[in-house]
Amino acid sequence: MELSVVAFWVLSAIAVISAIGVVFFKNIVYSVLSLISTLIAISGLFFNLGAELIGALQILIYAVAIVVFYVLVISTVPQYKGEAVDPKYALLSAPFGFILFLELAYVSVYGLWASNTGIFSPDIFKEISNAKAVATLLFTKYLFPFEVASLILLVAMIGAILLGKKDIVEDEKEGGA
Amino acid sequence: MEMLATVIGVVIKSVIFIVGMFLAAAYLTLIERKFAGHVQQRPGPLHVGYHGLLQPIADALKVLTKEDLVPNNVDKVLFYLASLMAFVPAIMILAVVPFGDPFTIFGIEIKPFITDLNIGLILALAFGSISIYGVIFAGWASNSKYPMIGGLRKAAVLIGYEVALGFAMVGPIMMAGSFSLREIVQAQEGFFGAFIWYQPIAFIVILFAILAETGRTPFDVQEAEAELVSGYNTEYSGMKFGLFPLAEWYIGTFVLSAIAVILFFGGWKGPHIFGVLSPFIWFFLKVFMMFMFFLWVHWTLPRYRVDQITEIAWKVMLPLSLLNIFITAIIIIVKG
Repeated sequence: MELSVVAFWVLSAIAVISAIGVVFFKNIVYSVLSLISTLIAISGLFFNLGAELIGALQILIYAVAIVVFYVLVISTVPQYKGEAVDPKYALLSAPFGFILFLELAYVSVYGLWASNTGIFSPDIFKEISNAKAVATLLFTKYLFPFEVASLILLVAMIGAILLGKKDIVEDEKEGGA
Repeated sequence: MEMLATVIGVVIKSVIFIVGMFLAAAYLTLIERKFAGHVQQRPGPLHVGYHGLLQPIADALKVLTKEDLVPNNVDKVLFYLASLMAFVPAIMILAVVPFGDPFTIFGIEIKPFITDLNIGLILALAFGSISIYGVIFAGWASNSKYPMIGGLRKAAVLIGYEVALGFAMVGPIMMAGSFSLREIVQAQEGFFGAFIWYQPIAFIVILFAILAETGRTPFDVQEAEAELVSGYNTEYSGMKFGLFPLAEWYIGTFVLSAIAVILFFGGWKGPHIFGVLSPFIWFFLKVFMMFMFFLWVHWTLPRYRVDQITEIAWKVMLPLSLLNIFITAIIIIVKG
């Protein structure tokens, strides 16, 4: 058997099993641990596909930069609160989960069709690196969405700073009164 | 069959790298203890072997044969897992660090690196940052106050400096035009071609970031033995305790020193005065100098407060590294 086929089955098994763990673990720290495991297994799948830039960024951004904030918050939650279950939310999340599933299914099928079109064939990727291909697309075809995304991030950052500042001002007023 | 040969070749190389790193780390502890001793005007280890030369072996035996105590109230799975999660990513960075150009010996071409991905630097950054979980989960699993505070402090420090480190690395990457560590070395020609002359700001930011990432003294708030007993590894004993400093202080510092040497000091380049082995000798000489620099800082300076550390990260180091990217970009555009 080809090495990449073995890698695909092993990595997808890990990803699926740990994704199930994210949902069914009672202890939220274990859930977050299996989320990290899922994300790293998916990054392994990217490497397997030859998209090593996306794979490395997947580890760096998703598995570390984002999840570490979850871990920071979750590890300070008392355990009895973390294990509490509220059936109301389970009922609410079912329709949203189904809509999300439909969207993901559509994107996957569309991606399967769209990946065979366009100028980037595997031969071109061998010649220029992944990083160059992504950068070229980002700064030519997708320049406008790219800039909009950075603007949204800037707005979010300023918003976060304002939210953080407000409490301090109120505290001082309360302290003075 | 060719595939099998590749797999066996990579496995053998990895084993050599890992075993070599273990032995090197053992003797780095001796170097550190001797150095710390002389900084504090005492001789350091003296009695095991000539001037303490066998001390690391005695230490290893001691750590391995000690009682492996697991407190009752810890989360056992995570408690065991955390020490590995701190250790394994640190050693995985070796997979992308090249130690020299390919050379031929006895008719076999030997490549002194495990992989030469064209995104090596990002991968090194990614592996380096995964080890943060070892520390946080060690703090959480211990189910005890001091480890918890230590783990959270370490997380706060790492988040700040990881960002600064990533942005500071962009300067050398822009000058070399590649993420590949090998191509970055090849872009630095001659003594005045080393990137340290063109990227001094980035170099200073990276020095701070390496000290913070490896938890060496001006930044070792996560252990802070005067306030937190021993920080996140308070509840650990035996070999599980040994893995934390081995991963952070020795393997982490060594590997990050190697990356700093590749980024700023031309890696294995140097005059060919040692014959065939001169690339290796130059590389290890430079890495060793970097390592000694970190030891020197560690054993001389007092500790920052935790708020001072995060303030330096976000208010000084991050703007400096962004400024460095800006200046580098302008110079590259003007010079063409």
